[in-house]
Amino acid sequence: MADADRDLHLLVQSVVDYSIFMLDPDGYIVSWNEGAQRINGYTAKEIIGSHFSVFFPPEDVASGKPEWELMTATSEGRVEDEGWRVRKDGTRFWANVIITPLFGETGELRGFGKVTRDRTQHRMAEHALRESEERFRLLVQSVVDYAIFMLDTEGHIVSWNAGAQRIKGYRADEIVGSHFSVFYPPEDVASGKPDRELEIAVVEGRLEDEGWRVRKDGTRFWANVIITALFDETGRLRGFGKVTRDLTERRMAERTLDERGRLLAHLVQAQEMERRRIAWDVHDDTIQSMVAVGMRLQLLASRLPPEHAATVERLDEAVSSAVQRLRGLTFRLRPPGLDGDGLAQAVDGYLAQAISGTGLTYTFTHDLLREPPPESAITIFRILQEALTNVRKHAMATSVSVSMNAVDHGVLVRVVDDGVGLAQPVERLAGRDHFGLLEMRERAETAGGWWSVSGRQGEGTTVMFWVPALMYGESGVS
Amino acid sequence: MTRLTVLIGDDEPMIREALSEVLAAEPDLDVVAIACDAEESIALAVRHEPAVAILDMRMPGGGAHAAREIRNRSPRTRIMAFSAYGDARSVEEMGRAGVTEYVLKGVPNRDIVAAVRRVAAGAA
Ligand SMILES: Nc1ncnc2c1ncn2[C@@H]1O[C@H](COP(=O)(O)OP(=O)(O)O)[C@@H](O)[C@H]1O
Ligand SMILES: [Mg+2]
Repeated sequence: MADADRDLHLLVQSVVDYSIFMLDPDGYIVSWNEGAQRINGYTAKEIIGSHFSVFFPPEDVASGKPEWELMTATSEGRVEDEGWRVRKDGTRFWANVIITPLFGETGELRGFGKVTRDRTQHRMAEHALRESEERFRLLVQSVVDYAIFMLDTEGHIVSWNAGAQRIKGYRADEIVGSHFSVFYPPEDVASGKPDRELEIAVVEGRLEDEGWRVRKDGTRFWANVIITALFDETGRLRGFGKVTRDLTERRMAERTLDERGRLLAHLVQAQEMERRRIAWDVHDDTIQSMVAVGMRLQLLASRLPPEHAATVERLDEAVSSAVQRLRGLTFRLRPPGLDGDGLAQAVDGYLAQAISGTGLTYTFTHDLLREPPPESAITIFRILQEALTNVRKHAMATSVSVSMNAVDHGVLVRVVDDGVGLAQPVERLAGRDHFGLLEMRERAETAGGWWSVSGRQGEGTTVMFWVPALMYGESGVS
Repeated sequence: MTRLTVLIGDDEPMIREALSEVLAAEPDLDVVAIACDAEESIALAVRHEPAVAILDMRMPGGGAHAAREIRNRSPRTRIMAFSAYGDARSVEEMGRAGVTEYVLKGVPNRDIVAAVRRVAAGAA
């Protein structure tokens, strides 16, 4: 044997991390090394001459796996396998096995080289990793305080958790596959905000945002949103992770304490005072004078010859219809009831007076146990008034239902009519000479709430809005 | 024909004058007193004991207050409210003060006159 061969032989013999040995063409063991002894447990004397199938579990032997491995190695030039192998003491280890056929110079099969590694530790570690990943997945699944879910590269939802269901109201089977823009208010969708957020997340790696998001039932919550772009090892975008928290209550508590909230309350009430003053002026001065003029015109008409009387009577009619219109104006400026009876009663009274005689029927329900602060009550009343005016003017409805519910330390109001619905998206209905929709939204948003209108053509219209109703210093947490 | 005596209580001079002219034009109605607030209405009603007192809701001192006092101190006098406010609360308030006829300012003269006669007839 040449020196080099001898050295190699020594090396193989003394390697302990690999079991390296040779088989004859039929699979009988003809050599053995240190590693083989360590891993398989046999000494060279004990094992040489045995068939290598002793290392296999009985079920593998029964299925002919040892022979199959040799055949495959012969035909393919190599076989690699991972699986359980049996030690001398009967215990098992997870083996990575490579069998290589050895051919003589004339091409005849001389035997096989077999290298085996003990991968038990590695496999356990992998298993533990998979288990911990599974546990982590379960954790994410069951977290209820955060909506945690994944988007594909285009923004379609691919996973969902319990928190997402709680906060947004959709079950996984209802929402997976949808585009995440369904969570944004229509005005944000129209301005392209969802896609913009993904673009920023790709560029910056991450995006944080606070704003209104829409629940399944159309109500909104104030969300803190973090979108993280997920890249693989090659730097390719794989999708996005999205974590959303519902901060509605915290936001309210903060607002009731800050200066802006106080100033706003003051402004809303000052504006209302101004309206009341105008209403009184119109009522007590203008209307009374015109009523007196009308009375005198009628007297005059009764004293004139018929041909002149007719003219004066027409004059009186003109005055009288102007009085009617002014009455309508003062009613809108200052509906009776808002002064002292409380919001629900004011709404009740307003409905009775404003809807009666229009051919509409209405229902009104509410579950408010406590009177909202005056500026909230005024805001709610004014938006409601505008919504009802639109129902009368545009909807051609037969009935309208109004509800007010205490929700999230505020008041959620719904005005639902069964009329013609909206012919166009809101963005196109509002503006130019039409300010009603804009004003409603602005009032709600200025008060720290939200407003929405929906209604497909022919299906009636729903105006829904929410206005916070906390007293100053009151905490949003009940 | 017995003539009906009428008191007018209203703080708006143009209304006072127009109303008294409208009533004076009727052969069976006599305007015996014109007052411009609640206290004057009460005093003149006590002095003249008119068949009908036409009271403004919102004159100084309050129409409802005047109505209650006049009912106490001149029991033969029937009271009619003449008001610019037609809302349920105002009507209710006058109702509690014993006012049965509530006429909204702006109705035709003949309706005012008819209401005065109706109130007076209710007294018989
Ligand atoms: N309840 C409703 N039913 C049907 N159409 C409505 C309703 N509310 C609003 N609209 C439509 O929206 C438009 C804009 O409303 P708005 O901003 O209040 O202005 P305006 O009432 O002065 O037209 C209306 O002209 C009408 O076409
Ligand atoms: Mg409108």
